[in-house]
Amino acid sequence: MIDLMGYGAFFLSTALIFGLITLGLNLQWGLTGLFNVGISGFVAIGAYTSAILTSPDAVDRVGGFDMPIALGWLAAMVVTALAAALTGFATLRLKADYLAITTFGVAVVVQLVALNAQGLTGGPFGVAFIPRPFAGVQDQAVLFNFLNLGVIAAVTLAVYLALEHVSRSPWGRVLRALREDERAAISLGKSARSYRIQAFAAGGAVMGLAGAVQAHFIGFIAPNSYLPTLTFQVWAMLMVGGSGSNRGALLGAVVVWSIWVGAGAFSAAVIPGDWQARAASLQIVAIGVMLCLILLWRPQGFFSARRRG
Amino acid sequence: MTLQFIADGLISGSLIGLGAIGITLTYSILRFSNFAHGDLMAWGAYGTLAVVGGIGEVVGGAAPIGALSFGWPLILAALAGMVMTACLALLLDWLLFARLREKGQSIIVVMASFGASMALRSLLEFIFSSSPAYYSRGIQMAMPIGFGIRITPDQIVLLGVTVVLVTAMHLFMSRSQTGREMRAYSQNPALARVVGIDVSGVVRATWIIGAALACAAGVMVGILVQIRPLMGLDLLLPMFAAAILGGIGSVPGAVLGGLIIGLSEAAAVQLIGAEWRSAVAFGILMAVLLVRPVGLFGRAER
Amino acid sequence: MSILQVKGLVAGYEPGLSIVKGASIQADEREIVVILGPNGAGKSSLIKAVAGLVPVTGGQVLLDGRDITHGAAHLRVRQGLAFVPQTENIFPLMTVDENLRVAGGVLARCEVQGRIDETYVMFPDLARQRRLAAGSLSGGQRQMLAVGRALIVHPRVLMLDEPSAGLSPKFVEMVFARLGEIRRAGLTIVLVEQNARAALAIGDRAYVLVEGREAHEGRAATLWDDPVVAELYLGQRRSA
Repeated sequence: MIDLMGYGAFFLSTALIFGLITLGLNLQWGLTGLFNVGISGFVAIGAYTSAILTSPDAVDRVGGFDMPIALGWLAAMVVTALAAALTGFATLRLKADYLAITTFGVAVVVQLVALNAQGLTGGPFGVAFIPRPFAGVQDQAVLFNFLNLGVIAAVTLAVYLALEHVSRSPWGRVLRALREDERAAISLGKSARSYRIQAFAAGGAVMGLAGAVQAHFIGFIAPNSYLPTLTFQVWAMLMVGGSGSNRGALLGAVVVWSIWVGAGAFSAAVIPGDWQARAASLQIVAIGVMLCLILLWRPQGFFSARRRG
Repeated sequence: MTLQFIADGLISGSLIGLGAIGITLTYSILRFSNFAHGDLMAWGAYGTLAVVGGIGEVVGGAAPIGALSFGWPLILAALAGMVMTACLALLLDWLLFARLREKGQSIIVVMASFGASMALRSLLEFIFSSSPAYYSRGIQMAMPIGFGIRITPDQIVLLGVTVVLVTAMHLFMSRSQTGREMRAYSQNPALARVVGIDVSGVVRATWIIGAALACAAGVMVGILVQIRPLMGLDLLLPMFAAAILGGIGSVPGAVLGGLIIGLSEAAAVQLIGAEWRSAVAFGILMAVLLVRPVGLFGRAER
Repeated sequence: MSILQVKGLVAGYEPGLSIVKGASIQADEREIVVILGPNGAGKSSLIKAVAGLVPVTGGQVLLDGRDITHGAAHLRVRQGLAFVPQTENIFPLMTVDENLRVAGGVLARCEVQGRIDETYVMFPDLARQRRLAAGSLSGGQRQMLAVGRALIVHPRVLMLDEPSAGLSPKFVEMVFARLGEIRRAGLTIVLVEQNARAALAIGDRAYVLVEGREAHEGRAATLWDDPVVAELYLGQRRSA
């Protein structure tokens, strides 16, 4: 029973972190219509930034800054926002496809840096000993998990409320107008691009924060946590939840993560050992097919109150 | 630094260029960046592998041709693979892309291609597992051809095949009625309908050509390196970069872009190390977007 | 016997937002029919709908008695209904020759060259510039190329959207003179024009379109002096 509660807290924490990333994507895509296929890259930038700044000294990479966790999170947001702004600056005057291709490239390059710039990122072994909040009670698993869940939930709630506020603010209304009406974008001229860059950077900051929160929750990061599958999962979450709705983004994250974990557990129980790796790929096939089906038949998602054409 | 990078770069560049032709045609005619294009490449390579295996079952192994690592079964299988890949692309279009295109939001089609790409790639992993496969186990000796450059017989022949394919493609686009219709449609879809061009024919031709060339490139990667489910994903960024560098819609541009990227990658491998190869395409992409987004042979979009 | 009949046509780009609201027109063989009307009356949308470029939600289009209301645009060309749009009516990156050749896809292969040569006889200017990119032609030459390309398939009905727009008076005169010749060769012409005087001068009959439907019809020669038309469309500005 205790174990189950501990697992429940762990599960929910992971799901909420996905929810955070999805909230960031919703600001970019749902509100502003900017297509990001490099989510895993931006999450990784946040995770690595915070991990490097807060972790203790390591032998063969820069580090030992030992900064407080909160500062690491803040830095994660700033650095990721900068990376996103730069991406936006290069592409947002061009057709939407160029942003998609460039973000895809960002994810490839971030993965490359994570793997190869050993002096900065620790290479394939990643960064370990990332300080975890409430590390003092780490031996009491349930309490520790719940305290962490509390922190993650608080961060998620804060971001959610901030984004709700933003989407109702004049700034958010401009973004929505840009998304829905090309004439509005043209009449705003150059500042339309600047609004889009701002939105893309802000969404990036949320993704970076999510990456940092996750890094400190797990205590360890490595390049293979930031593969394209992550990007894909987050898209599925947003599309299931319904793009444009922050609540939908969170709900979608919890639902898709449940399906993902459930399918994983199911295949682990049913499928013989040597087929497990292959079964995992079927999981991705299923999500891919689901994403396409949603696009075809229910582009507004399942939890979005607002209907879109 | 030796001049070997020229040979390596030309070879990998021509493979990137072949793939980029499909990307540039899909973008300029169907008006979306197809993230699943690399996976067509991988499916083509695996489809060909399956046919080679089938031929081997029926008639037994065949001796390689001359100094090459492969024999006639692979050539036959590659042709069959091209047909199969084209069918796969047409099927995807019918099931997914055509329906979304009708709704009119091109970025939704891009997203669907991203979803389809994940599904296609993982399906390959499911069927063939993620460990690499080979058309032939033979090791080829590279021959010196002067200036410190060494090249294998396979590489020479495949370079020749690329030249033939690209020339045929160029003649097709400039001389044939279908090629003219494709160019006309990419310049002005509404006017194309007014002059009596059957849009569905143009769409079909685009998929068939793009997929067949992707398959050819995939098989060549398979012959020269290895066959993996991720092979298409790894080439996706260089192919996009090549298409954009060459100027979207331009077939010669895509090939030239591919060669430039292949050569730059090969030079980077020698200068800074193989592990940074994939960053080269990104660097070139960013430079093009910042300096000349229409690419070398491109024109401003209407 | 009328070759083109449009009956109560309703059409528009977005559902629920019709621009053409029940227009009926017809054109007989070897007739030049002019469609006039104030800006925003739906003239352009009407012939685009007839050409198959604007979705039709009601009414009928009959070509030679055959219902083509919902046929694809490219099939209408094959059935003998050609259309020359007002702007962007050539493929700028293709040569003049290719512009003509691309329209010959519906013909038998052996016919194409003959038809292209015919066009060059009719428009000698184009023959001289056959190897140039069409985008480098002047406005008047583009218009001739667009008309020449529409004629390649030997259509029975030729529809033109403001062929005189943006042309110098000399070219306007020439274009209209050519349209007269084309009619004498046996074609039916449907012409949407702002330049009412020039159009009525060569037209047989004319319709005045107001708010998406025809408000008046008459013989071209007399329409200019018709007080109803003056009030409907030409208003006080009888200066054209």
